[in-house]
Amino acid sequence: MNMHRRISRCLVLLGFSISLLARAQGPPQSGGDFSNNPQPNALPSGVILLKGAWSSASDSVTPLPEGGRVAGSVYSNQYLGLTYALSRDWTEKYSGPPPSANGYYVLAQIRPAEKFKGTSRGIILIAAQDLFFTLTPAGNALELTNYSKDALSPDYKVEQPPALVRIGSHSFVRFDYVSPVAELHWHVLATQIRCHMVQFVFTSRDTKLMESLIQEMGKMTLPAEAGPISGRGGGEVPVCIKDYAQGENVLERIDPVIAERHFNPVPVRIIIDKEGKVKHVHFLSAFPDQAKAITDALFQWRFRPYLRDGRRVEVETGVMFGRAPRRPTSSSAEAVNE
Amino acid sequence: MKTIEFAWVYALLVALFFPGMAFAQTDPGVRSTTGVNAGQPLASVTANANDLAFFQAGLEQFNEHQTVKGDNPGLGPRFNLDSCGACHSQPAPGGTSPASLIFPNVGSNPQSQVIASGLVSGSTNTIPFFVVANGPVREARFPFFFNANGTANINAPNGGVEDLFTVTGRADAGACTLQQPSFTAARAANNIIFRIPTPTFGTGLMANIDDSTLLANHTTQATNRLGIGGTFNHNGNDGTISRYGWKAQNKSLMIFAGEAYNVEMGISNELFTQDRPLPGEDQLGSGLPANCLNLAGTGYPEDITHSDGTDAHTVTSDTALFSVFMQFLDQPTPSATVPGGAASISRGRALFSAVGCAVCHTPSLTTQPSHLTAGLGDATANLFSDIEIHHMGATLADNVSQGGAGGDQFRTAPLWGLGQRIFFLHDGRATDLLAAIEAHEGNGGEANIVEAIFDQLLTPGQQQDMLNFLRSL
Repeated sequence: MNMHRRISRCLVLLGFSISLLARAQGPPQSGGDFSNNPQPNALPSGVILLKGAWSSASDSVTPLPEGGRVAGSVYSNQYLGLTYALSRDWTEKYSGPPPSANGYYVLAQIRPAEKFKGTSRGIILIAAQDLFFTLTPAGNALELTNYSKDALSPDYKVEQPPALVRIGSHSFVRFDYVSPVAELHWHVLATQIRCHMVQFVFTSRDTKLMESLIQEMGKMTLPAEAGPISGRGGGEVPVCIKDYAQGENVLERIDPVIAERHFNPVPVRIIIDKEGKVKHVHFLSAFPDQAKAITDALFQWRFRPYLRDGRRVEVETGVMFGRAPRRPTSSSAEAVNE
Repeated sequence: MKTIEFAWVYALLVALFFPGMAFAQTDPGVRSTTGVNAGQPLASVTANANDLAFFQAGLEQFNEHQTVKGDNPGLGPRFNLDSCGACHSQPAPGGTSPASLIFPNVGSNPQSQVIASGLVSGSTNTIPFFVVANGPVREARFPFFFNANGTANINAPNGGVEDLFTVTGRADAGACTLQQPSFTAARAANNIIFRIPTPTFGTGLMANIDDSTLLANHTTQATNRLGIGGTFNHNGNDGTISRYGWKAQNKSLMIFAGEAYNVEMGISNELFTQDRPLPGEDQLGSGLPANCLNLAGTGYPEDITHSDGTDAHTVTSDTALFSVFMQFLDQPTPSATVPGGAASISRGRALFSAVGCAVCHTPSLTTQPSHLTAGLGDATANLFSDIEIHHMGATLADNVSQGGAGGDQFRTAPLWGLGQRIFFLHDGRATDLLAAIEAHEGNGGEANIVEAIFDQLLTPGQQQDMLNFLRSL
C-alpha cells in the first residue's frame, strides 16, 4: 500500500514537472513582449487587420451596396443593378472606406490612369447615401440634392441649381457648382435606387471634359425603378420602406443582448421575407459582438407580411440600434414611407 | 559674361514654357522668422496672478526630470523618457518632437541621448533602431502579441505601449532586472508601429467644446460630396465624445496627463495607481517582478496630492499641475504674412476649404462658458480639426485599436501650430508637408478624393498657396 502511494506520488510529481517544462518551452513567459526568433514570417504591410466598427452581413450571398467592383474597365454593382463603363484610360486607383454610420457609401473613386494621354484631368466619385439613415432632412434624392444646394458652403457658387435631366434613358437630378478660387467645377448627378441616393460627382477645371463624361452616362445600365424621386425597390428586389420595423408591423420582437457598451450608432438594413421573417441582415457599421447579438435577435423578430396589390412581397427596411445620431427634423423626412 | 547672359535667357525660357518646372511647389519648412509662436499662457491667465502661478508651477513640473529615487521619485521601472517637456518641446514646452538643426533648435531627439546622458545604463539598455538623433521622439507598440515562434498572432491584439528603456543598471534601481522588449524581432515580424507626441497647445480650448457643437459640425459636413464619413470616439465611462491622443482615445487632459505619466515615465499616480508592466507581462504573464516594485520607496501611488503642502502648487499633484499647464496653454498664433506673403496665405486658406480639407480639418469651433478662466470660454478655437476619427486607409493604418477607433481610424490631427512642427503623421514618418498630404490616400481611406483634387487638379501655384497657408499656422 505504502509502495503504491509512493509510486503514485512520484507519478504526480513527474507529471507536474513535465507540465512545468512544457510551459517553459511554450509561449514566452512575458506573454508576448519578447521574441528570440530573428526571422519570423512578417505580417503583410498595408493591410487593415484590426477593424473597428465595420460593415458585415448575415450571409455572403445577398448583394450589398458596398459590394460593387471595377473590373475590366466597368464598375458593376449588383445590389443597385448598376453598371458604368469607365472612359478609356480611366481607372480606380484606391478603394473607398467602409460605409459610414449615417449610411454614406463611397462606391468608386475614378481618375485618369498613369497612361492617360489627355490634357485635362478630372475625378469621378460614385457614392450612395442610404435614405433610411441620412442625417439630413430629406426623403428622396431630389430633396437631398436640394438640401445640399441650400447648405452649400460660401466657398462655392451655384452654377446650375438642382434640376431634373435625362441622360440617355435615365433620369437624374443635376446640380452644378464651382469654386472660384480653385477654378474647379463640381457637376453632381443623382438618382435613387432601393431608397439610396446614388450620386455621380464629377470634379474638374475642364467643363467640356465633364460634359463628355456626363454624356457617357447614357450608356450605363440602371434598374427601371431608378429616378430622382422614385427608386423604392420592387419588382426583382424587395420594396424598401423606411421605419417598417415599428409599431403594429412588428408582431414579435426580441431585444439583442449586447454585453459591451460601444456608444456607436449601429445602422442595420434587413430584408423581411413574404412570411414576415427576417431573411437577411446587413450592418452598415457595427462591432463584431454587436453584429452577432443583433443578428441573433433579429432572426427571432416576426413582422406583419407586407401586401402590395393584394400580394405579399419582400420588404427592405432600416433599424437603428445603439446610439442613434441626432438628426434635424423635417416634414419631408418621411417621404420614403409608402 | 556671355555665360551669365545665356543662363538668364535659359531661365526665362524655362519659366515661360515650363511653368510647372519653374514653379515646383515646395514645403516652405518650419517657420523661423516670426519667433516662437506657441507656448504662452492664455491672456486671461496672465492677467490673474493665481492662475499664472498655477501655470508656471505646471510648466516647471512639466519640464522637471524624474529619477527612480530622490527628490523627484517614481521613474520606471520602464519608461520612454524622464520628463514631459523632453518630448513635448517643439517649438516650446507643450509642443512636440524637437530637432537640433531646425528652428528653434531645441536639441537632438532626447531619446537618442539617454545612454550618453546617463539616464539609462548602456550595459543593460540599447537605443532601439527607430530612435535616431535627427528623428522624432517615438513610442512603440506591437499591434499583436507574439506567437511562440516569433510571428505576430493576429488573433491576439495587443497595441499597448512597449516602453523603450528600463531602469536596470541604474545606481538607484537596486536589483530590478528587466529586459527591453524585442524591437528587432518585432521589426522582423512587421509587428511594430510608432507614435510621436501630440502637441498640447490650445488643448484647454478643445476640452471646452461641448459635444453638441461637435455633433452639429458633423451633421453640417454630412452632405459633403468628397467621400468623407467620420465618427467620434467615445469615453467608455460616460459615453461622451473623447478627444485627446492620436485616436481621440482620452476624454480629458487630466486622464491624458495621468496616463502619460504612468505609461511614458512609469510613474504611478492618482489616476493610474500601479507601476505599469508591459502589455504581455500584465495580460499574459505575471506582472512586474517584486524587486522592480516600489523602487522609489514611497509606496503607491508615487505621485499624490500633498496634504502637507503649504500653498496651491505644493499641495497639487504633478498630474494635476500638468493638466493645469496644458489647460492654460494658449492656441498657437498664426502668421498673416509668412511664408509666401499675405495674398498667398489668404488664397491658400480659401483653397484649403474649397478642395475639401476643411471638411475634416474644421477651421474653428466655439467653446462653451468656462469656470476655469475667461480665455477658455465662448472662444474661437482655431484648431483645424473636427475631433472625429476617420478611416485613413491601409497606407496609414497601424492596426491598433483604442476605444472605438479601429486599426485605420485616426482623429483628425489639429493643424494649429503646424507651421512650426517638424514631424508629421502619427508616427512621424514625414518631415515634408507634401509627403504628409500624399500619405492621406490609400485603399480604404476617406481622404482619397480630396488628396486627388490637391494632387491632380490644382496648379502648382495653387498647391504652393496651400502649403504656404499650412506653414502660416
